Amino acid sequence: MSMGNKHTLTISSHYDHIRQVCEFIATGAQQAGLDEDAIFQVELACDEACTNIIEHAYGEEGIGDIKATWEANPQSFTITLHDNGRSFNPDAVKDPTFIKPDTTPNPDDLQVGGLGIHFMRNLMDEVHYQFDEKQGNSLIMVKYIE
Amino acid sequence: MNNQKQIWQEQYPHNIWLVGVRGRLDQSLTPQLNETLTNLLANGRYRLMLDFNGVTYINSGGLRCLIIAWRKAKTENGDVVLFGLDNRILEVFTMIGFDKIFRIVNTSLEAQAALA
Repeated sequence: MSMGNKHTLTISSHYDHIRQVCEFIATGAQQAGLDEDAIFQVELACDEACTNIIEHAYGEEGIGDIKATWEANPQSFTITLHDNGRSFNPDAVKDPTFIKPDTTPNPDDLQVGGLGIHFMRNLMDEVHYQFDEKQGNSLIMVKYIE
Repeated sequence: MNNQKQIWQEQYPHNIWLVGVRGRLDQSLTPQLNETLTNLLANGRYRLMLDFNGVTYINSGGLRCLIIAWRKAKTENGDVVLFGLDNRILEVFTMIGFDKIFRIVNTSLEAQAALA
């Protein structure tokens, strides 16, 4: 593979299409030399991020695109997910309360998208968010290559 | 995917029911699991053991489906016990504290004992 090149896939924002992004990213992660565990982790982080884009940035299915890009260098594997939905800053979302020890979990807490963000923060080494009035939302997630 | 069923159910003694899952528990498979669990619970089957030996992936939607079934079973003095999770799947559970919520064991025999 050629290091530093960007690889891009754009899907329409349907839940059924998220799998395509997962496979695209997993293939890239494999080429970049991530081990099986790390590939599983970047795949799950992408899955949750795409779900959040549909649920929160677009608010429903099928009203915009999600552009997924990956690039790799010997030190890291970087994923960028771009959408044109509402500004959605994951940093503003608190971890769901049920994750605290000894707290009785309430399934209602699972509806808020906090679970996905919790996964993204825990599975990836870096998570950044950018919003631009014209360009929309960009979520950048980095996995270090050991 | 092959022709094998990805979700199946089997009855055991003491009104214990096994639900087997094979494949990726994501947007494509979770609705089937949800339907199976909802039907069992609606028919008074509150002692459920889930065979995760064939599960290669799970996301937050899959976890949400499990916790909803768990809560329903618990309110009826039942339980949802999981067995056969591989290390990657177990790590996902641990990351959000679900390993403390669900009883997770290694084999179907241990799951039966936990539910009997």
